[in-house]
Amino acid sequence: MTVVIGFEGSANKIGVGIIRDGEVLSNPRRTYITPPGQGFLPGETAKHHRSVILTVLQEALDEAGLKSADIDCVAYTKGPGMGAPLVTVAVVARTVAQLWGKPLLGVNHCIGHIEMGRLITNAQNPTVLYVSGGNTQVIAYSERRYRIFGETIDIAVGNCLDRFARVIKISNDPSPGYNIEQMAKKGTKFIELPYTVKGMDVSFSGILSYIEDAAHKMLSTSQCTPEDLCFSLQETLFAMLVEITERAMAHCGSQEVLIVGGVGCNLRLQEMMGVMCKERGARIFATDESFCIDNGAMIAQAGWEMFRSGHITELSDSWITQRYRTDEVEVTWRD
Amino acid sequence: MATCMSENGSERKLEFFLKVPFPSEREAIIALQSLSPDPEPRKGGISKHLDVSGQTLSVRWTADEARVLRVSVSSFLDHLSLVMETMDAFGPPVSQ
Repeated sequence: MTVVIGFEGSANKIGVGIIRDGEVLSNPRRTYITPPGQGFLPGETAKHHRSVILTVLQEALDEAGLKSADIDCVAYTKGPGMGAPLVTVAVVARTVAQLWGKPLLGVNHCIGHIEMGRLITNAQNPTVLYVSGGNTQVIAYSERRYRIFGETIDIAVGNCLDRFARVIKISNDPSPGYNIEQMAKKGTKFIELPYTVKGMDVSFSGILSYIEDAAHKMLSTSQCTPEDLCFSLQETLFAMLVEITERAMAHCGSQEVLIVGGVGCNLRLQEMMGVMCKERGARIFATDESFCIDNGAMIAQAGWEMFRSGHITELSDSWITQRYRTDEVEVTWRD
Repeated sequence: MATCMSENGSERKLEFFLKVPFPSEREAIIALQSLSPDPEPRKGGISKHLDVSGQTLSVRWTADEARVLRVSVSSFLDHLSLVMETMDAFGPPVSQ
């Protein structure tokens, strides 16, 4: 049996999870929630993480019913993400690894999402749509790399949603994306927005500028409701994501889609992807918010795969990095 | 913690020294290895050197500007206190 503890804190969530051979023993998490109209800044987010990380770590051990001696490896997010929160979490991971005399392992956050999705859904070799506040990528596995077939050329889809939520002062509790999803259900009027798919890539910043402008003009003159804007934005963004995912599937001859990342728990996105999959005779795999949204178990799971295939990270090489592409990691644990 | 600040006459660099006592040399080394892997976020203008002597961790900064020095020292102290809290909660280190 191999037990890995994973520390995640690359954005506004701080989580510690414990995995024992594919079984999630515990996965507590806290979210730094900012007031409506405000995003989370690196320094403030790091301060939040510092204030709760040891409590979350104790919870993870207690819920799993384990002692530090039962842990085989300490995994943490090496990147990508915000620098200050990443360092905060890495500092604690390094300290406990040394206190407990256990090997340390730096994990790529995107790989964490993919491996957790594969574990939970049992998808064998899916085309992966990774959509969150910081990342938007269509990924397929080939010859020891998770290769990026398409991605955003500017901001992430979740960042577009979050920033739109700030413009019209939607609550960030539990998350701006969740609240947009609920409001979109009540939208009735579709407002046409720019649709920006460029080959295999997508662009969201122009759509955000356009809808910001439209929101100020149309809401003040009652030409539409905030709900209509949420609905129109979701439909447009998700149609673009489904389009590039379908093209990647056609290219790879893949019959499986796995959606991961925080935006991946949006049921409307899952529904739209499901329609496309049905037309192609393909299967869709998705997880709920406990595993889609950043969590510690996903870092533990990717760490478990890496540790079992012989990886460890020396303390001197354990620096964090804000930029760390998914395809930089050699996937030694898959055929 | 003993700190002092001086200005080196010839190069006009700011310097900052910090000494942190730990219960044992082992814990001082753990702190050193937890706090040293990440390079300074900004390129140039500041350097930081960590060392352990006995049960004391010592850190020495040299910087061009007080503003840059303050950010680095402040951030280091945040991380240092987190390391100490982690040791209190999840230590002492297991015997090697």
